[in-house]
Amino acid sequence: MSRTLGALLLFTVAGWAQAQTTPEALDWLRKIYQATEKLSYTGTFVYQQGDRTETSRITRLADAAGGTEKLEVLDGAPREILRTRDEIRCYLPESRTVKVDRRSDPRAFPALLPEQVGGLTDYYVITMGERRRIAGFKCQVIVLTPKDDLRYGYRLWADASSGMLLKAQTFDRDGHTMEQFTFTHLEIGSVARERLRPPRAAQGWHVEQAGVAPANLSQSGWSVGAELPGFRKIVEIRRMLRDAQPVAQMVYSDGLAAVSVFIEPMPGRAEAARIGISSMGAVNVYTREVANHLVTVVGEAPAASVQRIGNTVEYHPQ
Amino acid sequence: MKAKISALMDGELDAHELSEPMSALGQDADAFETWRTYHLISDALQGRAMLANDCLRRVSARLADEPTLIGPLPADVARPQRARWFVPSALAASVAAVALVGWMAFSPQQSTGPLLVPVAKAPQPAQVAARAAPPAPVRLPMTAATRDYLIAHQALSSRNSLQGMAPFVRSVAAESIPGKP
Repeated sequence: MSRTLGALLLFTVAGWAQAQTTPEALDWLRKIYQATEKLSYTGTFVYQQGDRTETSRITRLADAAGGTEKLEVLDGAPREILRTRDEIRCYLPESRTVKVDRRSDPRAFPALLPEQVGGLTDYYVITMGERRRIAGFKCQVIVLTPKDDLRYGYRLWADASSGMLLKAQTFDRDGHTMEQFTFTHLEIGSVARERLRPPRAAQGWHVEQAGVAPANLSQSGWSVGAELPGFRKIVEIRRMLRDAQPVAQMVYSDGLAAVSVFIEPMPGRAEAARIGISSMGAVNVYTREVANHLVTVVGEAPAASVQRIGNTVEYHPQ
Repeated sequence: MKAKISALMDGELDAHELSEPMSALGQDADAFETWRTYHLISDALQGRAMLANDCLRRVSARLADEPTLIGPLPADVARPQRARWFVPSALAASVAAVALVGWMAFSPQQSTGPLLVPVAKAPQPAQVAARAAPPAPVRLPMTAATRDYLIAHQALSSRNSLQGMAPFVRSVAAESIPGKP
């Protein structure tokens, strides 16, 4: 029985291995990246993971300064996030808090440029899928199948004329969907700037500044051991989390999936650290203790990858 | 030896002091029992979800039955043809292990907290494989305290260039989790 199953699986795997990235699919992917950067639009989308769904509105105004975007959660408390090229403001009504993540150097926001898309073929096989209508748009499906177990796969539905991403699914190596974003309504074209104002109610809310600054963790004795294949360190900063003491953050990325490693001293934390792993959709969070510091690894990658990066964090006092 | 095991757990030993208690844990049943008891005490004190008493032995027994081929391929080793033969056997082996991990992920911890999100609905072979080496970490529910990390992470995620702001919805989704400020 198990031999039959093995043979069956072998054929399936051999089939995957033979699949090749096509230039056409790569062009489509570039088109999606360009559309994300260039288009102005407003629309409603549904985020689904497990048996949970949440509806949000997204509005984007493209301009020479890198664009302004707003995300408004329409279910439950009206949470909002406003983003420009060098600042992210998160409005959380339940705690009457505004979290501000601002950097003096906008280059600190790592972006993948459309011309760098080709680099993704080292870790993903990028192929064309079916054509299908989503929210009234004729869409082309592009599939990114990972070449190893270290990352998830993606199915993307792009508007055939503009390249705008109408739907995105993240799937694990068994093909199970981990999470899904789907636009149910979308209008592409000019957007009035008033629609991107911060919420009026937020005046007088507590403001938490992230105070992002560049950092060099290896100088202070920290190391993250053998990196996962394809995941390169792209940013290393110091920042505040919840008005507490500074936390170090390193971000590793394969160009699409990103994993952050946070390191903070244990003393001074308001609550006891919880050691273990938790998941939400395609995001896994792994916490462990190293040399009286709390290490938190957050990534849009399989739990095993997030854990593997976390387990290589070491401290060597100098 | 008990003092050394305690120091080992607390991370107080230097690198050159590790080998003695580590080898004792492998060979001396009393030392191992001490290690287990101390962890049980620590888990109880810190209110962490505990695995069923006999879990360790049963997991070990099941692992002993597994073919040894499961496990991710080493990072730098090129994975040519050989790799393709490994994958199916790893998959097949994982089918058996999935039930075990599913049981571990769901049964003991689910009742301990307000689990908003079904954790690891479908345990993945990759996960199973990687866990064969280090002990499986405790499954925790996502809490509102995790939100700060999610926002900080999302702000720097390369996914934003592909999809714009939509993925940020994950970082504020935790706001409605009850029981946390």
